[in-house]
Amino acid sequence: MMHERVFGSFDLFVLPFLVGMVFVLLFCLFGLLRILYQLSREERLKFYASLLNPANIIKNLKDIFFDCLIHVKLWRRNPLLGYMHSSIAFGWFMLIVLGHLETWFYIPERMELIYYPIFFRYFMQVSGTTVGGALFFFLMDFFLLVVLSGIGLAVFKRFRSRALGMKRTTRLTLLDYVALYSLWLIFPLRWIAEGFTAGVAGGSFMTVPINMLLSSFMKNPENITIAWWAYSMALSIFMFSLPFTRYMHIPTEILLIPMRNAGLKVRRHNKGYALAQLYSCPSCGVCIDACPMGLHRRSADATVYMVRQFKRANQARSLEIAEKCLMCQKCSSLCPISIDATELRLAFRSRQKYNILPDFQYLKRYLALSAEDDSAYAQAQNGQTEENSSGNPVMAVVSSIGSKVKSIGQKIMSLGSSSKEQQENIGSEKVLYYAGCMTSLTPVVRESVEKLLKASGVEWSNMDSGRSICCGRPLFLSGKMEQARQLVEANSEIIHNSGASILLVSCAICYRMFKEKYSLEGVRVMHYTEYFNELIKEGRLKVKRSALKYVYHDPCDLGRGCGIYEEPREAIERAGHLVKAGKERKESICCGGSVGSLALSYEERVHITEHSLENLTVNAPDCIVTACPLCLTTYAKQSEIKVEDFAQVLVENLK
Amino acid sequence: MVNFGYGLTPSSAVKIIEGEDKLYRKLCEMEPDVKKCMACGSCAASCTAGDFTEMNLRKLILSLQRGYYQQALPMVKNCMLCGKCNIVCPRGINTRHLIMSIQKIYNL
Amino acid sequence: MTKNVVVIGGGASGIEASRRLRDLGYSPVLVEKEDHLGGHLASWNRLFPQMIPAKDILKSLTSDMKGIEVFLNTEVISINRLKDSYVVKFSNGLSAQVKAILITTGFTLFPAQKKQEYGYGIYDRVITNADLEAWFNGNKDKRVTDPQVIGFVHCVGSRDEKAGNRQCSKVCCATAVKQAIEIKEKFPDAVVYCFYMDLRMFGRGYEDMYLKAQKDYGIRFLRGRVSEVSEDINGRLVVKADDTLLGKPVKISMDLLVLMSGMIAPESNMELSKMLKVLPGEDGFFSPANAISNPTLSNRDGVFFAGAATGPKTMPETLSEGRAAALEIDSYLKRVGD
Repeated sequence: MMHERVFGSFDLFVLPFLVGMVFVLLFCLFGLLRILYQLSREERLKFYASLLNPANIIKNLKDIFFDCLIHVKLWRRNPLLGYMHSSIAFGWFMLIVLGHLETWFYIPERMELIYYPIFFRYFMQVSGTTVGGALFFFLMDFFLLVVLSGIGLAVFKRFRSRALGMKRTTRLTLLDYVALYSLWLIFPLRWIAEGFTAGVAGGSFMTVPINMLLSSFMKNPENITIAWWAYSMALSIFMFSLPFTRYMHIPTEILLIPMRNAGLKVRRHNKGYALAQLYSCPSCGVCIDACPMGLHRRSADATVYMVRQFKRANQARSLEIAEKCLMCQKCSSLCPISIDATELRLAFRSRQKYNILPDFQYLKRYLALSAEDDSAYAQAQNGQTEENSSGNPVMAVVSSIGSKVKSIGQKIMSLGSSSKEQQENIGSEKVLYYAGCMTSLTPVVRESVEKLLKASGVEWSNMDSGRSICCGRPLFLSGKMEQARQLVEANSEIIHNSGASILLVSCAICYRMFKEKYSLEGVRVMHYTEYFNELIKEGRLKVKRSALKYVYHDPCDLGRGCGIYEEPREAIERAGHLVKAGKERKESICCGGSVGSLALSYEERVHITEHSLENLTVNAPDCIVTACPLCLTTYAKQSEIKVEDFAQVLVENLK
Repeated sequence: MVNFGYGLTPSSAVKIIEGEDKLYRKLCEMEPDVKKCMACGSCAASCTAGDFTEMNLRKLILSLQRGYYQQALPMVKNCMLCGKCNIVCPRGINTRHLIMSIQKIYNL
Repeated sequence: MTKNVVVIGGGASGIEASRRLRDLGYSPVLVEKEDHLGGHLASWNRLFPQMIPAKDILKSLTSDMKGIEVFLNTEVISINRLKDSYVVKFSNGLSAQVKAILITTGFTLFPAQKKQEYGYGIYDRVITNADLEAWFNGNKDKRVTDPQVIGFVHCVGSRDEKAGNRQCSKVCCATAVKQAIEIKEKFPDAVVYCFYMDLRMFGRGYEDMYLKAQKDYGIRFLRGRVSEVSEDINGRLVVKADDTLLGKPVKISMDLLVLMSGMIAPESNMELSKMLKVLPGEDGFFSPANAISNPTLSNRDGVFFAGAATGPKTMPETLSEGRAAALEIDSYLKRVGD
């Protein structure tokens, strides 16, 4: 029936595997302790608490199963690519599980030997005539076939990556190659080793034919040991190289998922939770194709290389990569591991040392000035108007605060009605419109928004028709968090003092900042695409459908950043025919103008814009529509076809 | 020094010592584009911080170039990094990165 | 038939060259894509610095067109090289076999709406240099109504990498000063500003014109590029610039802003250069084989240039090049023989 073939259940050939396995386990243990140690006290407590929460435990297990073993995200991207990864990961996992089950089933006292389940076939002779035996033999061979098919695809992908949906693959390091080839060898060697043994130890549809084939010309039983040695050696090489290669993602991701589900955030670019992220990167290279900077050549600045440089602590290259990125987030939204690429870069940027730091104390004086009573303000404004109408050019030297030219620096310009009347008009919504810095370079946006507000009879005031304070996002993106906070405070004060119930924002960059970093109680922050779409739906704004074909560009901060994809499309559909771009929504390509990039040169940006425009015009639209002033000026300079702002399109099609 | 009881008005002329300003040379290494500035003033005119303060990038670049920066340098504290100057610069200078580099290598 | 020469572009240099070629005994074919001859000259009002009416110049240019075959509303469809001649096909169905082709395609004005921050096409009080010339010519324009403060913005789409044109358009400085004087004559009480980066008054009499603008017309010159234009509550324009000489940013309320659109290469140059296999430069203008010793020669036998096809030029320069090209073609044709 069944008995142990080898006396003492030990053979020298298990040693390479055993040492490798112990090495990997010790390395992982050490890494785990290091990451836990680098977490702050609060983070650690948060993490432990989440591990005790039953709902979280289920979510962790589910995520680990679907992400680490099945690779659901890759399936969605390309079924072949998905199959390749899940066949290797899940197949191998099942081989290990089945090996342990067999051991536990037949010879439970050997469970404590970690090598035993791996080399079970060598040590044990099991009859395939029982139902259990036959089932085990069959399952083992079946999953071996699954893994081998995955390996076959992987080999194929090395030569024809396009067939698996990837234009470009990662440049591997020397050790990556060592690990890769040893991984490829593990399973064919296992097949041969088990094939040799199948004659005595039993086997199924994969191993028995191999046994017959091999024994037909290799009679010497010594070959058995050689095959098992080779199998163990391949395993050992893989294990020894694993900590220093991309395959470290296999154990790390199991840690990353519970940490992410516990709500941890990246603080330092290579410590704690961030370190778990770095080691979870499998260097799959999905980010290389995703990166808009790499459209004309293989980008050396994609996230996968950033991760590599962060791990190597190469400061100069890390800075270069961290500063160049457009922060468009396309890589992280396509990343199968969902690595927070922008957060990691931001953390690195915030570590930079500056001798001179910005300081916005001067805004406090400005805010105090603006809070002066209305009458003095109105007087100053009247005086100004008279001066203008008398024909004197008003030459205002703007730099001195507190000079008499207040109308130029007016904070909130009421339109339509005086502010007193507005106060009495409680009940209806009070809209405060913030156009943002960039909009002053694209006056068409402000003009169109004001026309739409007028057309819909909304009562509104402008927050920044004179001077404006930046929303703070550019500072935030440059890593100057504390300074950004000062701007957030100043703007929050203006917004609260205005008594507005809706803050209307036409810039995608500002919108994201107001949404994420401001806490404006009682104020609804709305992007103009949301707001005008709502007005159209409510019938307060009436547009007619033109015959023009529009294509809509998803601004990074609005789409991937805030998840607003539908509202602008719904509204544009009512004003004309919406055609699709080559890649859109989550996969939309950054216009190239992003404030997220600190170091990208103008020449490099021009190429990105060019490609982005090509992508938008695949379906021959008459007009490109965008909902961000920065995308608008960027495209308008290079586009051959008309580029319009979202509000402009609605104005042109007003009933 | 004998105190005569009155002070001499210092000359307002900028003393330019050619090729001696190490910091500016370092800045040129980090930001080669700074040499492209033609002092058109687009950056200063569109500057968000310039609406409130003395911030004027054109003036700053010129002052640094002349090695005459102690008076001009404090203005760089006012910059909000909003990026408007970056968009309007007709020579395509990456002004934001330039400002950040100035903040890195110069000392007040 | 072999005495034919095809001249592509019916602007000033095309007309002048055709006339000279005819005088030398050739039968030029002058192709113009518009419905009239004269190019930009036809739409301009007066020419600096002597303030000579453009229509007088055009009139004398086109006074004697006998012996010149003029195709209006016509474009070149294809050009094929035979052994030592070219077969040129036109959109009117005709074609010509010639040994020499003269390119006088000139320039187009930079589309000012591309500089979105200036608000051309958005604000009611922003016009271009061409719009102003049309108004000088008597065309109605409701944007020009009794302006009190007027601004001229130099270098719109010139010396601007972002607008895709690094080159200086050469003539806009002088044009702006000319137009500033002219509009001041129309509105003597108005205050007129010129926002310039560098005033390039390179020609004879230009500096005098500049002096006159300052001394006699009180035009204010402000060194600084306009960076943005907004509208105040009363609908007046607020123009922002850095007064680089004063060292302070300024904001000026205005009633009329004139954008000095620069000269850029016509888009059709690309098409033409493919047909003729003469590569245009990075800026889109054609590059002569030797820009100093003979700017009318291309690097291909039988292909010649004249006028603004090889870059921004003044009217006298353009006309001289037209004449020079005619002579050059004559000696070329004599050299290669009939």
